[in-house]
Amino acid sequence: MSQPRMATRFSWWHELVLFCLLIVLFGLAEFLSPGFLTPSKQLYLSRHLWIFAIMALSMTLIIIAGGIDLSVGSAMGLCAVAFGVTFEMTEQLPLAIVACLLTGVLGGLFNGALIARFNLHPLIVTLATYAAFRGMAEGISQGESYSQFGDRFSELSRATFLGIPLPGYLFFVLAVLVGLFLWRTPTGRSIYAIGHSAEAARFSGISVDRIRIGLYTFSGFLAGLATVIYVSRFDTAKADAGRGFELDVITAVVVGGTSIFGGRGTIVGTVLGLLLIHETRQFVGRYWQVDELKSIVVGVLLIVSVLIYQLLVRQRDTRSH
Amino acid sequence: MTRNSKTEISAFARITTRREFGLAVLIALITIVVSFFDPRFLDAINLRDIIVRCAPTAIVACGMMLVIVTAEIDISVGSLMALTAAAMGILLSEHEWNLSLWIGLPATLMLGTAVGLLTGLLVTVGKVPSIIVTLGLLTALRGFTTLIMGGKNIDGLPPSLQHAAKQGFWGIPLGVWVAACVLIMTLVIIAWTPLGRRIFAFGSSRYAATMCGLSEKPLKLFVFAYTGFLTALAAIVDVPRLPTIESGIGLEFELLVVTCVVVGGVSINGGRGTLLGVLLAVLLMTMIRPVLTYLEIGEEAEKWTKAIQGTLIAIAVIGDSLFRRRGRGGPMS
Repeated sequence: MSQPRMATRFSWWHELVLFCLLIVLFGLAEFLSPGFLTPSKQLYLSRHLWIFAIMALSMTLIIIAGGIDLSVGSAMGLCAVAFGVTFEMTEQLPLAIVACLLTGVLGGLFNGALIARFNLHPLIVTLATYAAFRGMAEGISQGESYSQFGDRFSELSRATFLGIPLPGYLFFVLAVLVGLFLWRTPTGRSIYAIGHSAEAARFSGISVDRIRIGLYTFSGFLAGLATVIYVSRFDTAKADAGRGFELDVITAVVVGGTSIFGGRGTIVGTVLGLLLIHETRQFVGRYWQVDELKSIVVGVLLIVSVLIYQLLVRQRDTRSH
Repeated sequence: MTRNSKTEISAFARITTRREFGLAVLIALITIVVSFFDPRFLDAINLRDIIVRCAPTAIVACGMMLVIVTAEIDISVGSLMALTAAAMGILLSEHEWNLSLWIGLPATLMLGTAVGLLTGLLVTVGKVPSIIVTLGLLTALRGFTTLIMGGKNIDGLPPSLQHAAKQGFWGIPLGVWVAACVLIMTLVIIAWTPLGRRIFAFGSSRYAATMCGLSEKPLKLFVFAYTGFLTALAAIVDVPRLPTIESGIGLEFELLVVTCVVVGGVSINGGRGTLLGVLLAVLLMTMIRPVLTYLEIGEEAEKWTKAIQGTLIAIAVIGDSLFRRRGRGGPMS
């Protein structure tokens, strides 16, 4: 990584395409269903977005590094149960939040340690913890749900400042920090190197294992953070929190132009991907009033976005892990 | 590759370090311990129940194994199972189209094969990674299923089909017969056809196989279409056991199948795995819930099923990694 700038040619074209698609979508939505594009409506709809959005940041880093984390949704379930159990025992909200975040961090650390230390395939490890975290959450809580954490706590996700909900600010701050980290710091750049070739990165002196462990731990931490918002928003902590979220998060990241084989992707792309998925879902749900269409459209969008990319830009090294 | 190492390791070590041996020992141990606690575990009725539950997983796992051997993955089988079940229900139910079995069942199988073929085309011609294609289909097919079922459950399948799925022929349900046929068919494909050898050749080294003049596309098309076909088959033999067809059928089924294949010793990087290992893993994974019930730790225990499944995957892969390390320097590395 002696040259931090990977290419001199214009490399933001995927983001540009996404941006144009988003504009087209907005235009279409406003034309077909007037009132969709008003700021108040958009801000109201955005409450569906933040929980996914926060987890998409760490997922971007992990996928750029050539990995994947299927366990984030289940980790949310475990975090929620940790939150509920701690609150029930101590009646202390700060303690419950700390327990929630700590559970996420430990879960992520476990993933990272298995992947890096034993050199295991991330897909398999996180598949294992996908089942294990959810199973532990179900086993510990025994299907019970915890609620009534007080009005002040549920206010946390509903309160707005200058019209934007607080989780939105949290996401923006995190997105800028993660984006700068990825773009400007040596560690951030070495994530791309790991994604291109972990072996080559290791030989050029990058501590691949440490970075990988760090990334999965960060992913667990963000899952914990997302859980705090989730619990605050729904005022319940249950073992089924975040079920299926990993798919939405991965979809957003991949639509955002991050290569599933690693080595390529940006935070800007992920933010655009998140917006595109979110707006498509909301528009489809609003216009056709059929919930099932949402998942069909999102699934097709995922396949088509990668298909177009692969057909337009025949990458020679799609398989080089 | 294992053939080369025969000369270096003793026969005993060779057998005991195999995944199949570990799984068989684990299954035997669990059976002994549980039947010690409650001898009723060994009753014919219970054993029959376990085998019947194994059937759909075993059927789809045969296809999934071939997919994973070619270093691809298919995580859409759960949603495809729901879609084919819904299609079967709509075609056959007396409240819906009420077609004859001879039209409805082949049509269902063709639907499964067609979706598998579509996956294969997107992977080979479209060059979209299989995890992306099947992730998209996982979401889209589930939505499509809910859409065509229109929010209500389907019942009224032909009694002959329900009878075959529940009681079957000579006391053995249809699912078990079909699973046995599929296992034999897959074994024949793997062991005695050029197709099977090529699938393994491609999985172990894509580059070498291409250099030998093998073409990749037909192989991958075949494995995905085969998995789609088997998924439809599993839906046909398993779903009529249920009173109604719901859109939630096969939820997380893909995880169970992938788990079984991986625990059974098939390498996620392709090229390595045996059918026996996969079969034993299916048995082990299916046993967990009945075992927890028979241990009579109470209602609480069953909630831990998933945690135990997850732990088993972790143990399986960590064990693999440790053995691989020990073998470093040998012909395997």
